[in-house]
Amino acid sequence: MSEITLRNVSKIYGSDDAAVNNINLDIKDGEFMVLLGPSGCGKSTTLRMIAGLESITAGDIFIDGKLINDIDPAERDLAIVFQNYALYPHMNVAANLAFGLKLRKVPKDQIESRILKTANTLGISELLTRRPRELSGGQQQRVALGRAMVREPVAFLFDEPLSNLDAKLRATMRTELVKLHNDLGTTIIHVTHDQVEAMTMGDRICIMRKGIIEQVGKPLEVYRNPANIFVAGFLASPPMNLIEGSFEQEGDSLKIEVSGITLTIPAHFANAYGNVHSRKDVILGIRPEDIYTDSNDGRYTCMETQVVAVEALGPETIMVVKLPGGKEISARLDRSFRAPIGSALKLYADIERMHLFDPETEKAIVAR
Amino acid sequence: MNTRAASGLERGDRRFGLMLTAPGLAVLFLVIIFPLLFALITSFFDYTLINPNHDTFVGLDNYQEVLDEEYILTSLWVTLKFVLASVMIEFAIGFSVALALNSVTRFKNFYYLILLAPLLINPVVVGLLWRMILHTELGIANYAISLMNIDPVNWLGNANAAFWTVVMVDIWHQFSFMAILLLAGLASLPREPYEAARVDGASSFSCFIHITLPLMRPVIIVALLLRFVFAIKTFDIVFIMTKGGPGTATDIISYFIYRAAFFGLDIGRASAMSIALLLIVLALTIYLYRYMTSLR
Repeated sequence: MSEITLRNVSKIYGSDDAAVNNINLDIKDGEFMVLLGPSGCGKSTTLRMIAGLESITAGDIFIDGKLINDIDPAERDLAIVFQNYALYPHMNVAANLAFGLKLRKVPKDQIESRILKTANTLGISELLTRRPRELSGGQQQRVALGRAMVREPVAFLFDEPLSNLDAKLRATMRTELVKLHNDLGTTIIHVTHDQVEAMTMGDRICIMRKGIIEQVGKPLEVYRNPANIFVAGFLASPPMNLIEGSFEQEGDSLKIEVSGITLTIPAHFANAYGNVHSRKDVILGIRPEDIYTDSNDGRYTCMETQVVAVEALGPETIMVVKLPGGKEISARLDRSFRAPIGSALKLYADIERMHLFDPETEKAIVAR
Repeated sequence: MNTRAASGLERGDRRFGLMLTAPGLAVLFLVIIFPLLFALITSFFDYTLINPNHDTFVGLDNYQEVLDEEYILTSLWVTLKFVLASVMIEFAIGFSVALALNSVTRFKNFYYLILLAPLLINPVVVGLLWRMILHTELGIANYAISLMNIDPVNWLGNANAAFWTVVMVDIWHQFSFMAILLLAGLASLPREPYEAARVDGASSFSCFIHITLPLMRPVIIVALLLRFVFAIKTFDIVFIMTKGGPGTATDIISYFIYRAAFFGLDIGRASAMSIALLLIVLALTIYLYRYMTSLR
C-alpha cells in the first residue's frame, strides 16, 4: 500500500528534447492509475523512472513520502509486469515466481506457500513445472503477473502488459486485472496506449503527450470534459469530431458557422461562454454519439449532409458524412440504420453537448 | 494435373540444386573425405615412405603397435594438459573481455580491431614472432624483465617453462576467438529479464550467476567445443617454437603423429594414430555436447 508522488520530474536523453518534461502527478494509496498516450509520449519512461530502471534527470519521486530518486530498484519494493513479460526463459514457472523471494531471503516454506497461493489465484497451478517457452502468450502473461504478485510489493507497475494478447484474451484480462485490484487493494500504475483499457480499468487516467501531462481525471470526467483538443481527439473510437469554424454575432444571439452550417448557441450557453465572441476562430467538437437521425421535437440542430461511408459494426452503425462545407464527420447511429453512399441525409446534432476549443491554445474554451 | 506439374517443377529444382552444389561437394570429397578414407585404409597396411604401397595388409597390427608405443601416453598427457590449460584460461580471459566490451559503447570498433589482430595472423608467423620475442639472449621479453632486475628466463629451453610458454602463446593467439564468440552471445541476450531481475532485487553479481550464465550456456557450449577441437589439433606453434621439446615437454599428439610419419617414415602407423585420435575426439565431443545440452 503506498502513495506515489512525482514532483517536477523530467527525463532528457542526451541533448534531445525531453522524453518527460516537468510532470507532476499524485497517485493515491490503492489507486488504479492509468498512464495513457500515443507511443513516444513518455508514459513508459515515467513508469521506468518510478521503477528505478531509468535515472531521473530532474525532479523528485516519492513513495509514501520517502524520496526514492537514488534508491536501487531492488529496494523500492515495486513489482513490474513488462509488455513482453520478460520471464526468465531458463527457469520453470515456479522458479520464475520464486526468484525474487529467494533473493530477498524469504524462508523456503513461506516461498512455497506463497507460490501456491498466487498460482491458485491466477489459475496457473498446473503450469508450475513448465518453461516459459512451453506456455501460450496468455499463460506467460499470468506468470509475469504472478511473479509480481508473489512478492507482495507496495505497488504494481504494468508496462502495457495486455498489448501482446489477442483481442478476446485482452478483454478477459482487463476484467481480471480490475478484479485483482479490488481484491488486493494495492496501488497500480498501468501504462497503455489503448483508450479502452484506460476507460474500463482506471480509477483515474493520466493522458500524456510529448512528455507532458495533458489531463488527469476519472475516466468519465475526462471523457465528458476533455481539457484540450488532443484529449478530445484521443479518447473514444471514433473520436470526437473536431470542426474549424467561426463565431458570428447576429442581433442578440451568438452563432457559430462551421463547414457550411450555422449553429445557434443556446442563450444560456452564450452567457456561460462569457466573452467568447471576442474570439473569431473556434474549433467545435461534437462526439459521434451526440448526433441523431431525429430532431428530438426540434431541440437538436439540423445538418444537411451527404453519406460518404457506412460502417455497420453490428451493435451500432458508424456513418461518415460530409457537411456542406466539405468537412467529414462521423456519427454513431442505431444498428439498423442504413443509407446509400452518396445520398443526402439529414442529421441532428445535440449542441447542448458540444465542446468549444481555442484553435491557438488548443484548450477547451469552457470546461463544463 | 496440377500436382504433376508441381512435381515436375520440384524435380527440376532438385536437379538445379544438385548442379549448384556439385563443385563444392566434389572439392569437399577431394580434400576431406578422400584423405580420411585413405588414412583409414592405410592404417590397416604396412605402408612406409620407403615402401609406399598397399601391398601388405596387416590388419590391426598398426593399432596394436600404437598401444605398445613407449611415449604415446606421455604425449597424450601433454596434449590433455595443453588443451585444458589453454582452453580454460582462454575461456576465463575471453569471457571477462567479452563482458567488459559488452558494456562499452565508445570506440567499440577500435577494441574489436585490437582484439582480432592476433587471430588474423597465420599460426606459423605467430610461432616465429614469439620465438624471436622470447629468444634467450636477443629477445625483447628477457630485455624487458632485465629492466626489472629479473634474471633472464630460458623460455623455450627449460622443460617446465616451455610448456607454459607454448600455452601462453596459444592463448595470446586464440583467446579473441572465444571473446568474439561470447561477445556475440552476450549482445544477443534479451534485455528484459535483466530489468525484471533488477526489480526483483538482484545485484549485478546475482544477475550474472542466475541470468547471464544460464542464458549463455548454448554459446558457451559452442565456444568451448570449437576451441577444444581446435586445441587438440594444434601443430604449427609447437612445430615452429619447440619441435616437441625440450625432451617431451611440448610433445603434443599432433606433433607425435607427424614425427611417426615423417621421421619414422611409417605412414601406416601414423594413420592408425590419426584414426584413433579422431575417434577419441569424436567420442569426447559427443559426450561433452550431450552432457552440456542435457543441463538445459
